[in-house]
Amino acid sequence: MPLWFVRGLRRGVVTTRYPARPDSSAAALPTPPAFRPQALTRELADRLCLVCPSRALTRSGDVLVFDAGACTACGRCQEAAPEAVTPSGEFELAATDRGHLVKRIPLLGEGDS
Amino acid sequence: MTALRQDAGLPGLLSLLGHDAVADDGPVVTVAVAATDTEAAVRRLAAAPGARLADLFASGGNPAIDGDPVVLRMVWGLDSDRRYLVTESVIEGERYPALSDIVPAAFTEECEIYEQFGIRPAGDKPLNRVALPPQVDPGFPRLGRPPAEQPADVHAAHFVGGQAFEFPFGPVRGVGVESLYYGLVTSGEELVDLYLFTWHKHRGVEWRLRGRTPREALFQVERTEGLGAVGVGWAFAAATEAAAGVEPPARAMRTRAIALELERLYNHAAATAALCQSTGLAVGQAAAEIALERLLRLNAAAFGHRYLFGVVDIGGARCGPDAAALRRELPGAYGELRRAADALLGTNSFLDRLEATGILTQEAAQRLGMVGPVARATGLRVDARADHPAAPYAEHPPAVATGQGGDVLARFRVMQAEAAESVRLIGDLLEAGAGPGCADLPEGTISRTGPPGSPDRSGLGWAESSRGEALAWVSLDEGGRIARARLRPASVRNWRGFDDACRSQNVFTDVPIIEASFWLTVAGMSR
Repeated sequence: MPLWFVRGLRRGVVTTRYPARPDSSAAALPTPPAFRPQALTRELADRLCLVCPSRALTRSGDVLVFDAGACTACGRCQEAAPEAVTPSGEFELAATDRGHLVKRIPLLGEGDS
Repeated sequence: MTALRQDAGLPGLLSLLGHDAVADDGPVVTVAVAATDTEAAVRRLAAAPGARLADLFASGGNPAIDGDPVVLRMVWGLDSDRRYLVTESVIEGERYPALSDIVPAAFTEECEIYEQFGIRPAGDKPLNRVALPPQVDPGFPRLGRPPAEQPADVHAAHFVGGQAFEFPFGPVRGVGVESLYYGLVTSGEELVDLYLFTWHKHRGVEWRLRGRTPREALFQVERTEGLGAVGVGWAFAAATEAAAGVEPPARAMRTRAIALELERLYNHAAATAALCQSTGLAVGQAAAEIALERLLRLNAAAFGHRYLFGVVDIGGARCGPDAAALRRELPGAYGELRRAADALLGTNSFLDRLEATGILTQEAAQRLGMVGPVARATGLRVDARADHPAAPYAEHPPAVATGQGGDVLARFRVMQAEAAESVRLIGDLLEAGAGPGCADLPEGTISRTGPPGSPDRSGLGWAESSRGEALAWVSLDEGGRIARARLRPASVRNWRGFDDACRSQNVFTDVPIIEASFWLTVAGMSR
């Protein structure tokens, strides 16, 4: 057992310096979506709501409501509409109020409706 | 289509079942067995050397269709013959022969079928609750009709006498492990009996897959058992491909295999860390978790996801590996695991806790249809990569590691040997070339002729996940959507051996060690 103590000491600290320094592996992680309002129409918003498995997306009139607290960054919306949805690159999700995690994205794209 | 091989064991088995020959010489042979002949057929198959019951499940029984019969299917692994035999029996009425009296490995599935389809084996044998929680009403989503009576809770007729007492533990447990209720019967130190409630994690995955396209379904299939996303996803994709008659490109199959071996590596590292935690070896746990974190980061660098979601696609692979990242990082990440394991194997206080703990005998493993490292640690050479080698394992066969004794130490050694073999296989597969690619799925109905009573478009798929053989059976409707999907992760097989291993003269504190060495998921069990 003393050998394990020495092993632990010799291995040293291996944790990253995050958050003082960015984590090197962050770039490879899936992240929640970012939306381009100009590319979003009502029809497209409805399609995105349908593919979202965690119901993080809902449409309210001409607004797409995105609940970042419910999003699991599965990437289905990005896959369904790459022209309107891109990875945000944001994996630090923190808010002091639950409501701050809900974002309202206007639908500014030119659709049929 | 070729003639049936006369030297194989299959013709003999088929003649026992009253079939002269099969039209298809593929790796899966499907035959119809009359309901009245089911018991005799199971007796003959169970007595045949080299045949093991790999799965039992049902389909049909739609409550919206009056008189829609339930079709009972058994999947038999004919490992020495490198084939699977699927038998199909149409069950009229609410009873079928008690198959688990002949093949004990069928018991959990009999319970599942009762919960989901309302038909039960003949006799009054109490059936356990497997997936559906006790408070559900008859309208709860099921695959077929509800049973006439609610199944008893696990070991309903459970008596605790003498000096023993029952210690309830779970379903909420520490350190973020899955929901699982233990009923531990103990005299204070020795474990007298144990039973499990696994239904807290039931999500109705198979029910949710119906009516979806295979690609839509794959998203949920991968999440059936998150730590086995590639294994279960591959089995499901292979079943769909068999049903649709498509063959994925060779490069994509090698991509799947690389992801599957990476999944095996990180699971074995996680099991090593859990073994250290359960034996109170904190530095060893940290050492194994360093390896685990490096392997998970390597997964993300190679495939874009720490748990390898989204690699498998229906008809191939959605993305290819970053070969440069794998070649650069894999030796170092595996080296961490190797060093930790070597140090652990030189630590007597650790080995003392593992040796002769949680023994599962080879006879029990065979009787209960165990798979994966748990079965191999008893000396059974059961590995779908070697026994049923689909591409690319036919060209890149693995060296199957087996152990002796069936205790925790034997399982630990098997896992470490498999990790080394996975690293070798990944190197070989990268050399052979891997990348993304998908075969096109045909639109609409495909003209395939199945045996009487079977849907025209069905297929069986398999993969050797880190926990053992994962199976899937898929039936497609005329529009190419899923009519029935059966998922059988390895956890479904191996949990039934866990309580046997725990009861083999172990003390209370051995249970977490045995659980870590089995390294199963509750999510895969209750789906």
